[in-house]
Amino acid sequence: MIQPVTIALDCMGSDHGPREAVQAAARLTLERDDLRVILVGDVDQLGPLLDELSYDPARLSLLHTPQWVEPEDHPRTVLLDKPRASILEACDVVAAGRASAVVTAGSTGAAILAAAQRLGRIPGVRRAALAAVTPTEQTHGPKKDPFALLLDVGATLDASARDLVTFAIMGSAYAAAISGNPAPRVALLSNGTEAHKGPAEVVEAHRLLSELRGIEFAGNVEGLDIPRGTVDVVVANGFLGNVVLKMIEGVGEVIADLAADAYARKYLWRLGLTLLSSGIEQIQAVMDWESYGGAPILGFTQPVIKAHGRSRAPAIANACKVAAKASRSDMVRVVERSVAQLPTDAEELLA
Amino acid sequence: MTDWRHVYRWDLDKTYLETHFESLSRLVRIAFEKPEEKVNVPGSAALLRELSRPREGVMPNRVCIVSGSPTQMRKVLEQKLALDGVTWHEFHLKPQWDNLRRGRLRAVRDQVGYKLPLLLESRANVAAGTGETLFGDDAEADGFIYSLYADVLAGRLDSAQMVRILKAAGAYPDAIERCVAAASALERADDVERIFVILDKRSPPANFRALGSRLVPVFNYFQAALVLFAGGHLDAAAVIGITRAFLEEDRHPVDELANCFQDIVRRGHLPGSAMQELGLAVQEQIEATAEREVIWNCVQRFMDLGEARAFRKPQGPDATEYLSLLDALKRRS
Repeated sequence: MIQPVTIALDCMGSDHGPREAVQAAARLTLERDDLRVILVGDVDQLGPLLDELSYDPARLSLLHTPQWVEPEDHPRTVLLDKPRASILEACDVVAAGRASAVVTAGSTGAAILAAAQRLGRIPGVRRAALAAVTPTEQTHGPKKDPFALLLDVGATLDASARDLVTFAIMGSAYAAAISGNPAPRVALLSNGTEAHKGPAEVVEAHRLLSELRGIEFAGNVEGLDIPRGTVDVVVANGFLGNVVLKMIEGVGEVIADLAADAYARKYLWRLGLTLLSSGIEQIQAVMDWESYGGAPILGFTQPVIKAHGRSRAPAIANACKVAAKASRSDMVRVVERSVAQLPTDAEELLA
Repeated sequence: MTDWRHVYRWDLDKTYLETHFESLSRLVRIAFEKPEEKVNVPGSAALLRELSRPREGVMPNRVCIVSGSPTQMRKVLEQKLALDGVTWHEFHLKPQWDNLRRGRLRAVRDQVGYKLPLLLESRANVAAGTGETLFGDDAEADGFIYSLYADVLAGRLDSAQMVRILKAAGAYPDAIERCVAAASALERADDVERIFVILDKRSPPANFRALGSRLVPVFNYFQAALVLFAGGHLDAAAVIGITRAFLEEDRHPVDELANCFQDIVRRGHLPGSAMQELGLAVQEQIEATAEREVIWNCVQRFMDLGEARAFRKPQGPDATEYLSLLDALKRRS
């Protein structure tokens, strides 16, 4: 049997409360013998939830925290006000070597600050990047994955040229480690494919990446290239990336709603949709963010996976599986090695 | 009548022996297994051996086995128990062939009408005031039958109530008559201290709350041994021995046993002070390296529960609603 990977799962602060995280962990203990979970949160809430479920106690333990980050808390001040918040304790467990990765469906800002405080950044990384997968028409890598990586989707709202270069390197390394893609094609998101198009930092990042060795830089891509999937990794600042990601999610949900509405309205449309149902199901499966699990927050010395705040148990379980994969593939070390090549090249380039 | 220190009643299938007959071929294979081929539930042999072991200067414990296996398996099962070094005082098997021959088809599956008369009749062998601990599993109705037995013995259920439950369970009239006769001859005493239900099917622990706080759902015999240690049924050396057997038999790593410890503490069945006592005893056993590691890991898991660790035993209802529980049991099966 392969050595199990232990995940520190922050159970608090998500939209649906700790029930979903506890359900996810309980299910994983029965389905995966290569995973162990430490449930981090208020044991007085987690314990009774666990007692209602089937689980294997040998494969999970609980770590009590009397505090946690609420959705309305401000990330910058909350970690000072709540020094024993569950996300901080989850990071501590990983820093102490008792677990290999952190998973949270709580506040993204708090997760980034907690990871920066307790795990630290990879040398050479100034800002973290949240990477999300987004469904594409073309497949990617040897596993023919039907999605591309988009980063940053909200960790660093205003990124400098150097930050964008770092994101590109981290995204490339992550795609190589997780998807097994030896040379992922990386592009900058802009309002035109020409090198001079876009804000100053994007133009500058384009120049730097064009001259950087060890990365398959494909230039700029436009918004329409994201769903087409012309490249494997798309780099943007956190503001733009977040807007794009939410729009893709919104479009998917609206299409599903429109189909449901059409189904209810006319018999003819119902018949048509019934005939197309298997195709629609496939599209829904590709568009379903819950099936992709969580998004890695890249740049820290240990894997940190952020699940959607609206995540139900299956999505949190998938996030834990992504975390295990990241840990097992030594994703952070791969990113670290790639970034380590940056200072010489980039400093020279930046100079 | 011999004086007994305590009575331990055990089921066999899925409680003592791994008997998972998920297919007909597996069922046939189990029926023809030799004693040495039968597989124990991890830790069960070590625990029952400890509980049945005579101790100098201490009154003996009485071990009674009531199994749903057919009487034809007596020889092989007795040989298996002997191989495990377990001694017993009563061993009841189900007369399945007799049930079939007499056309009593309901009795082939019914456990309530089979086990309850045996338990009540067996109680005539011990004096009132002798405590009992019962072991069953979550595959059938062990928790229900044992609780019913405990409540009849304690006088919380009268004869009429018991008869209504037995009728609802589909027991045959002769089984009901035996229960009434045995119960009327008993001196009422609240002597069932604890009922262990091994969660073989990984049933949620909360499923058993309706049967009261004396029922302790456990995921394995390491958890049961800890609870028995805290209750004074086992000494530290015995717990260490069972832990060792558990590590060897089940190949559970040390940290997984510690997780199981935390689970039973969190659910309120084991006071944290038991750990301190056990830790001191392990200190004295210099060679018990792996077992010592288990204890230290347990201490860490205990600390992990932090301020939330004042766990109270789950409280059951004032009176168990057997008839509605029976309906639920029927629906599940």
